[in-house]
Amino acid sequence: METIVNDYLTRELVQDVALLPLGDATSLLETGILHSLSMLRLAVFLRERFGVTVEDADLIPENFDSVDAICAYLRARVGREASHAGVRD
Amino acid sequence: MRASVTETVPAVGQRSRRPWSIPVPGVLRAAEAIAFWLVTAPFLALLPAGIGYRAACWRGDWTFRSDPGKRDEITNNLRLVLGEELGGQEAERMTREVFRQRNCWIIDVMRMRGNGRGLGKLVEIRGREHLDAALAGGKGAILCSSHQGSFHSSFSLIHASGYPVTSIGRWWWEFPPGGTSAVVRRMWELVYGRRVDRHRHRPNMAPWPGRWQVAVRAANVLRANEVVTICCDPPPLAEELPRAVEVPFLGGSGRFVPGVVALAQATGAPVLMISIRRLPDYRHQVVEISPPVPMDGETTVAFERCAAAVETVIRAHPAEWDIWYNLEDLIRMGLIPNASQQAATAGARTDQETELQQSSR
Repeated sequence: METIVNDYLTRELVQDVALLPLGDATSLLETGILHSLSMLRLAVFLRERFGVTVEDADLIPENFDSVDAICAYLRARVGREASHAGVRD
Repeated sequence: MRASVTETVPAVGQRSRRPWSIPVPGVLRAAEAIAFWLVTAPFLALLPAGIGYRAACWRGDWTFRSDPGKRDEITNNLRLVLGEELGGQEAERMTREVFRQRNCWIIDVMRMRGNGRGLGKLVEIRGREHLDAALAGGKGAILCSSHQGSFHSSFSLIHASGYPVTSIGRWWWEFPPGGTSAVVRRMWELVYGRRVDRHRHRPNMAPWPGRWQVAVRAANVLRANEVVTICCDPPPLAEELPRAVEVPFLGGSGRFVPGVVALAQATGAPVLMISIRRLPDYRHQVVEISPPVPMDGETTVAFERCAAAVETVIRAHPAEWDIWYNLEDLIRMGLIPNASQQAATAGARTDQETELQQSSR
């Protein structure tokens, strides 16, 4: 998962080559990689690739400040939705 | 063609040819402005519309005469951008119209009290069928405007007429970010923001640098099949310049942040252009919602369609475009070169003229 997210950010959202290679712990907010429009593109990618829709309440730095944070968020969301589906079944 | 700087700046020692200039010290003007916003305008909004808007025009004429610095700045801005299409007298007439319009916008906002009927009965909203059709698609709708006419009040009126409207935009009193005193901010929120926000579905979303959540929040509003309004022509901030695109605009090239295109392409929401114009009686307005504008293709190409629609409205009603008011905004948009570029242009022009004169001799 980390590789997929890192590849996407590197390919689509990192504009400053000095930031490459992008570390999984690098702050995306402090480096300016994530701003309003790039966050929108990332949200579309997460929905299309992982089926996770980013809700308003999830928009906190702890969930999106780095590749590691994004992957932790994705795992939590996927796990939460799987358990909800289990309860419904 | 654009007018050159040398044509618009009066020669040294040249007297103003305007007989009606009555310069008023800045402190008095500021005091009058505060009194107008806090007392006079709310009172005028209670009077019959004909009287209220006529008084607003009188104040517009007074500020036109009493603030020669701002007046000359606007006249120069108009001539520098619209160029030779605009003669000196026409530019001056249009400048006075800019002052009148700005004062009418204040009355518009004051008439938004209560359920907004005080203003609603003066504004005809056309093209609702396009908005209904867009919302029937289930992906929300983006209403895209320019800083034209009374756009804040118009967005609120659309909400008051039954559509769930949320706006993306930055309040002017928060410029520069963190640089306005708390007292000033509170005053503007009291006299302006509160009146406009009352008629919005959700709080205003301000896309300041560092607010990385704004576009996703707007996308979520659209996902709920609601309406998002956005102005596509704010002058880009320094932090936004790397993301800006340059498109043909007003006879030159304008720099814009194509947020509306990014939002539309990410969500599939249709973009409907909205134009606002005031009728010659100054009381009545027409708000017109267009059919969807295609948003396919490259970002710049898609944004060019928005810019073209905005330009059409500005050219038809130039005095109602708010951006004329600040030279700095037009410089940030790339429509007017900055001072050093102007000096270079003027220098090059002088060199060319000297060469021409010498060759003709």
